[in-house]
Amino acid sequence: MASGADNEPSDEGLVRAACAGNDNAFSQLVVRHKRRVFGLAARFSRNSHELDDICQDVFVRVYEKLSSFRNDAPFEHWLIRIAVRVCHDALRSRKHEKNHLQLDEHGPELRDRGEEARSEARQAREVLAFALERLKPDERLVITLLELEQFTVREIAAVTGWSEANVKVRGYRARQSLKRVLEKYDERQHG
Amino acid sequence: MKDNMDERLDRLFAAARNERAAVSQADDFFETRLLARIKEQRELAGPWYAAAWRLLPAFAAVAAMVMVCTLTFNPSRSSDMFAAITGGQDEIVGMSYLTGE
Repeated sequence: MASGADNEPSDEGLVRAACAGNDNAFSQLVVRHKRRVFGLAARFSRNSHELDDICQDVFVRVYEKLSSFRNDAPFEHWLIRIAVRVCHDALRSRKHEKNHLQLDEHGPELRDRGEEARSEARQAREVLAFALERLKPDERLVITLLELEQFTVREIAAVTGWSEANVKVRGYRARQSLKRVLEKYDERQHG
Repeated sequence: MKDNMDERLDRLFAAARNERAAVSQADDFFETRLLARIKEQRELAGPWYAAAWRLLPAFAAVAAMVMVCTLTFNPSRSSDMFAAITGGQDEIVGMSYLTGE
């Protein structure tokens, strides 16, 4: 998590150097952790431009708050907390346009059985993305962190600031909402 | 039906977990773009601080003028100590006469 090789500076050392105005140190931090942020942000973004925007927002916020980082937890935990908040903000900012989404719009086409066999995983991801787009931002955040990123309830509570009970309730509701969306989707496919 | 839907959801989650999103396009020159954005933000924030520091002599001049005006136009204090002490005596004597004390 901190440094790969012995001669590489630790995250904490790079943070101190970046706080002192060393842009190269900050760049090293970005290189070290960007893959983790990309992976997380990709769960919430719809295309590569949005992904780039979210990731840039994450690291800009990290840069701005770098002086408030305390060494009581690993840098990566602090970074992921910021990344989750930026992703949540991005979901909430899309809420308005999502309200106009209808179930029969932009649904993935599943009727080509040959194509389905060739790229089952991709289509599963598309169906899930279609369903996730129809959840509330809070529900989508929780279910994504729980089921796709495989965070524990405690970890989600830590990164979101919600209580563990609240995380469980939101996770349960999100799952119920997803089932409803898929049932309606199936009715449309077979009806 | 409910169990089927739960199983289906779990299958969808498993499939989505296994497929990592393509991030290579966002990865290309990411640090360069990020640092350019940060520098741009810093430059935008720069003039505010620079202006504040440039205004420092003006603030000092205003403070000096206020001090000079205060010293110049302040009503002069009496240098007569007896007059300063007995300044309110007439009023007290008048009040005692009226109240009969």
